[in-house]
Amino acid sequence: MYQTIDEPIEVAGVYTKSTFIPKKFRWKNREYLIQQVTLKSDTKDGGVRKRLYSVLVGKELYRLTFNRESESWTLEEIWLDE
Amino acid sequence: MNNLPKTILHVDMNSYFATLLQQENPALRGRPIGVIKDVGRTCIIAASKEAKAMGVRTGSYLKDAKEVCPNILCVPAQFERYLDATRRLKKIFHDVSPDVFIYSLDEAFIDITDCLTYIYKDPVAVAKKIQHTIFQELGEWVTCNVGISHNRLLAKLASGIAKKGNILHITPENKDVFLASAPFSEICGIGYRLEKKLKVLGVTNPYQIRFYSEEQLLPIFGPFWAKELLRIAYGEDSHVLSLIDDQPSHMKSVGRSITGFKLCKDEELKKMVILNLIEEVTYKTRRMNLAGRQVWIGLYGHEHGWSAHQTNKQYIQHTSEMFDLLYHQLYLSAKPQFPVIKFAVRLSLMKKVNETPLSLFDPWQQKENLSHSLDAITEKYGLFTVKPGSLLSHDIIRPEVTGFLGDRQYYGL
Repeated sequence: MYQTIDEPIEVAGVYTKSTFIPKKFRWKNREYLIQQVTLKSDTKDGGVRKRLYSVLVGKELYRLTFNRESESWTLEEIWLDE
Repeated sequence: MNNLPKTILHVDMNSYFATLLQQENPALRGRPIGVIKDVGRTCIIAASKEAKAMGVRTGSYLKDAKEVCPNILCVPAQFERYLDATRRLKKIFHDVSPDVFIYSLDEAFIDITDCLTYIYKDPVAVAKKIQHTIFQELGEWVTCNVGISHNRLLAKLASGIAKKGNILHITPENKDVFLASAPFSEICGIGYRLEKKLKVLGVTNPYQIRFYSEEQLLPIFGPFWAKELLRIAYGEDSHVLSLIDDQPSHMKSVGRSITGFKLCKDEELKKMVILNLIEEVTYKTRRMNLAGRQVWIGLYGHEHGWSAHQTNKQYIQHTSEMFDLLYHQLYLSAKPQFPVIKFAVRLSLMKKVNETPLSLFDPWQQKENLSHSLDAITEKYGLFTVKPGSLLSHDIIRPEVTGFLGDRQYYGL
């Protein structure tokens, strides 16, 4: 099941062929290294454009959101296996 | 233009909703997944191929699904991500041909007739290219069937009966083989009731309809279906698929419905839900530069149902106008006294705003100015950033895309 977190995070990444690829993020003073972006989606909430990244850190899945208007990152959810 | 017979591809994504969740999360891959609308919901709106293999059907209740598949894992749908994935699919299809019709979130028709003359030689190679690009763009877990034929009915039949992840080409030469073996569930336009009626005649596949004349079918199925069934029997496009060629220039109505978790008896809550749904309908209407003059409301309980509509002289697109008509004039005058599980509202008889007469009255102009300002805030900060005060203390019902894409034009698909 997905556990809601909804907390701000800091993200670092690289640009490859005009595409941003997140490589690591900091949450609660701990650094998480991203191994893979498994799904990327562009969404719109009214006129607010958001880019959603699902990323693997080890075997754990994290859902990150980049608000393209405020240029801020949020850790939305974490997958916790039952 | 050329005189070649048409070549249509039908792309059908395999278990789309569940597959995208499995693509996103490797922990879900290979496991039976039931996609639910939200946490706590009990209706399976989509199932993964693993769940389907164990007998879980779309639309089944969780309780029934667990009987055939005790280890089924329920995961909430991600509608906005499905919508984005379909947008990306549309772009892939447009790179192949300009003639693309997104039939639903997980299905599309691509007419490659002209491209075959000038660009491609082999439709199967085009289909393989599409599958490969989807693999690259959406991920290794996302697969699709591609059906190829000279019309939409047979292309859709081909993708429906092809093995998962495969390509099937139905030609004029081999079409009878498939029409003689396809179940009616794979024929677009023939529903469950019609299938049952045909079964009484001993007809279990489209080919067998040919043994009946139009005169024999007429008293049983009526004038429309007598002709339509014979068209399908010979593998010609069904009426429902030919409608794709006559897409309206704008939406004829905008509606929104929601089925709750439990029966709602609270009058205040009913009022809030109606207002919330109207907010979404009028916002979408304004975004598309439309206005409508017929409003409709439907409320449904376990044993009761009530609906009412009103046609207005003036075109409307503001929340307060629609709420006044639906709630104050229709709902409160009838006051249906039963607990409600499903709410639905609709604005129809739509026209482009620039084709409708503008009201000269001050109160209307004030509403127009207010809506204009609110829409500007929504554009900048998101939907329901500003909302009616009465909605402040309730969980907001947010827009969601439906699988059959009733809002296709609103979403630009």
